[in-house]
Amino acid sequence: MTPRRRLLSLLAGLLLAEPARADLVVIAHPRAGVDQLTREQVVNIFLGRFRQFPSGIAAEPIDLPPDTAEKAAFYQKLVGKELAEINAYWARLVFSGRTQPPRQASGATHMVELVAGTPGAIGYVERPKGESKVKIVFELEAAR
Amino acid sequence: MIRYFRKSIVFGTTVGVVGVALLVGLLFKLVAANFTAEQAEQDVVTHLNELVNTIESTASVACFAKDAQLAKEVVNGVIKNVAIARVVIISDGQELARAERPSQVAGIRTALQPVQRKLVSPFDPNQTIGEIRIEPNHENVDQGIAEQIRFVSVLLAVQLAVIAVAVMGIMYRMVVRPIKAMSDGLHRMDATTGQQLPIPARHAHNELGRLAGDINALAGRLVAALFEEHALRLEREMDERKYRGIFDNADSGIFVADGRGCLQSWNRSFARLSGMPDTAAAPCLADMPWQAPEQLAALIEACLAANAGQAADLELLPAGQRTSTWLHIALSPIGVDTVQGIVSDVTDRKQAEDSAREMAVTDPLTGLGNRLGLEQRLLARMRSSDAFSLMLIDLDGFKQINDAMGFPVGDKVLAMAASRLASGIKSSDWLARTGGDEFAIVLPGLASQETAASIGGRLLGTLAHPFDIADMPTILGASIGIGFFPGDGHDLPTLLRNVELALDRARAGGGNCFEFFDSAMVKAATQRRQLEADMRQGIQRDEFRLFFQPIVDLASHRTLGAEALIRWQHPEHGLVPPDSFIPLAEETGFIRELGLWVVDEACRQLASWHGAGHALYLSVNVSTRQIPDALSLAILLAATTRHGIPPGALALEITEGALMGDMAKALAWLQDVRAAGFRTYLDDFGTGYSSLSYLKRFPMDTVKIDKSFVREMGEDGSDRALVEAIIAMARSLGLKVVAEGVETAAQLALLRGMGCGMGQGYHFSKPVPAADFLSVRDRIDATGW
Repeated sequence: MTPRRRLLSLLAGLLLAEPARADLVVIAHPRAGVDQLTREQVVNIFLGRFRQFPSGIAAEPIDLPPDTAEKAAFYQKLVGKELAEINAYWARLVFSGRTQPPRQASGATHMVELVAGTPGAIGYVERPKGESKVKIVFELEAAR
Repeated sequence: MIRYFRKSIVFGTTVGVVGVALLVGLLFKLVAANFTAEQAEQDVVTHLNELVNTIESTASVACFAKDAQLAKEVVNGVIKNVAIARVVIISDGQELARAERPSQVAGIRTALQPVQRKLVSPFDPNQTIGEIRIEPNHENVDQGIAEQIRFVSVLLAVQLAVIAVAVMGIMYRMVVRPIKAMSDGLHRMDATTGQQLPIPARHAHNELGRLAGDINALAGRLVAALFEEHALRLEREMDERKYRGIFDNADSGIFVADGRGCLQSWNRSFARLSGMPDTAAAPCLADMPWQAPEQLAALIEACLAANAGQAADLELLPAGQRTSTWLHIALSPIGVDTVQGIVSDVTDRKQAEDSAREMAVTDPLTGLGNRLGLEQRLLARMRSSDAFSLMLIDLDGFKQINDAMGFPVGDKVLAMAASRLASGIKSSDWLARTGGDEFAIVLPGLASQETAASIGGRLLGTLAHPFDIADMPTILGASIGIGFFPGDGHDLPTLLRNVELALDRARAGGGNCFEFFDSAMVKAATQRRQLEADMRQGIQRDEFRLFFQPIVDLASHRTLGAEALIRWQHPEHGLVPPDSFIPLAEETGFIRELGLWVVDEACRQLASWHGAGHALYLSVNVSTRQIPDALSLAILLAATTRHGIPPGALALEITEGALMGDMAKALAWLQDVRAAGFRTYLDDFGTGYSSLSYLKRFPMDTVKIDKSFVREMGEDGSDRALVEAIIAMARSLGLKVVAEGVETAAQLALLRGMGCGMGQGYHFSKPVPAADFLSVRDRIDATGW
């Protein structure tokens, strides 16, 4: 990355981060069998510890593409880690070949679609304005 | 060579150094081993902890994701480290992965604890999700420790070897070689030629150099002493040759002997004096025929012990000879256990001494012991504490015989008396002549008064036989005082005094008797001493008085004068009669003083009467002790002149006894005083030994007939005849007569009838004080009685 590109991305980040900082929620398929998840349960599902809802239904976490402000904000708020750290984490597990990182949506809209259209799917978006086809199961507060 | 090396300084020092180093090394190794092991274990723990740090995050990811595969990768990587024996990762209580190293050696020494660490979630440091445990490879740790110790030991050994070699080298160079050089030099050196020990090179200023210097100084002193000794020896040889001649030819015996008295050398004189045979190889003094060999041994011992000269006279009694030889031996110590003796023959001196000593205690006349001999004998007896009896014997009347017949006769009497006494006692009794006519007998073992009395009686009996001297049998009596030891005196002066007292008593009892001492005699003697002291004081205090008894002319009935009689007005005892103190005064000689006082007082009284017109005279008694000096003519004349009276007013009365003592002197004195005008009276006539011939020989004016004759005159015809005869004889000799003791008118009449001139007695008056005398005289003169 050239210094100019980094400056640009920083500017873009500043611009895009404004709405994201407002509100991020974890969403799940309405029939996932859960109304509410704890932060720990969210962490376990997204970081590959238990991919299963308390209801027993297998959970499939869906991530946003890298370099998105939402993704960075999500992990920051969820476990207080930078994305680079999350990537390093996954790099070790991927090396052993048993666990895979979450499936990746192409964007927020795609994320909502994927969650609404896949039973057991779980993802995260900015709080939707009106009615939605997905269920909010966890609201991310400011980072711990 | 090896033995020499073992004794060398180098070897000793090296052994010492190596020994100490080994000891220290051993200690060091023990400490180092412990320390090394601890250090190695510490290192392992640190190492394992570092390892855990390295794999901790990956292991925690594996645990978080429960990824056994990832965990396996981690433990496989870790186990490749040889320091690790086993690694285990545990996730939520379940083992996730494990790797182990097969153990090769049994008996693990170290006891290292495994390193354990909790694994936390990568996302929540507060959440524990598992544990990693790594156990060290003890085999590996022990190997490391052993290697390290081996290394230290080898290092130490090398160090010791180097030090030992260095010490040997240094010792050899610095000490042994120079000492060896000095020793060789000493062996070669001849100090007497002035050679000196060379000082080792490069050691001139250290201890070795000083040692060499000291050795040289010592050698110098020794050589000097050697030369001195040599010179002395030469000198001594010269001296010895010189003195050898003196030694050989000396008159005194000279010898050198050891402490046991065995002779080392002696001269000819010694051989002659000791009578030692020439053949004796190494004779001993102890073999000589000494009277008391132990004295010689003691003398030698004393000489050596005191390291000073000792001398003694020793008696030598050669076998077969009757007379002994006395040798004076003077010993002086000469060196260790050796004495030199000088011997001379002192037999003559010894005999002279013995005889002088014998003579000092012997009475030459009788051959008996003398007073000194008696005292020595008594002291010896008293020391042995055995009872004995002492008799003191006094011959009565011996003095008269001696005076009358001369000393040769007296000596014969004494010798005879001695042999009579000797025949009256046992051979174990001991007779001595202690004074002129005094003998003493010591009777050992005699304690019974009865036995003593029978012996005393027997002795008196033997002495009572007449002594046949110059064809004239003479009778002597004896007085004996007897006392016992220890009853009558524990010590010599007391016993002697007490027996003397007994003798005095026997003598006072009239002689020819014996008396035992008893304690009352001491009391009596004490009283006598007191009386004597009182008399001497009495004359100073004017306690004596003169009383006067009239002497009356029987024809005219007139008082002519008086006899002055002394009285003593004692402050305690009152008026003491003269027979209580005059004998004592005579005995002690106080009578001389008292007599002077009497004469003076009589003269004073006469002067007083004459001054008052009374023509009286006084007669005073004169004791034999006062004649001739104490009452000499000069003294008498001085008294009469002093008081202004004529000598004719004083009459001097002398008893017959007074004339008996020393007749020549008494006669001269009488003639002198009579020629000067004094009257002389013969007192107590008829009582003593005096014969009538005395009356003619002595210049007397008047005879006083003793009162015993006058008293018996009335009943006894013979006494009356005697008085009559005396009066008749006196008249025919031109002497006046005073009859004493006239007590009755009948006596007065008889005397007057016999033609007796004067009388004196209670019929006229008792003795009266001066104050009463004149009135008594007046009464007599007026009445005739």
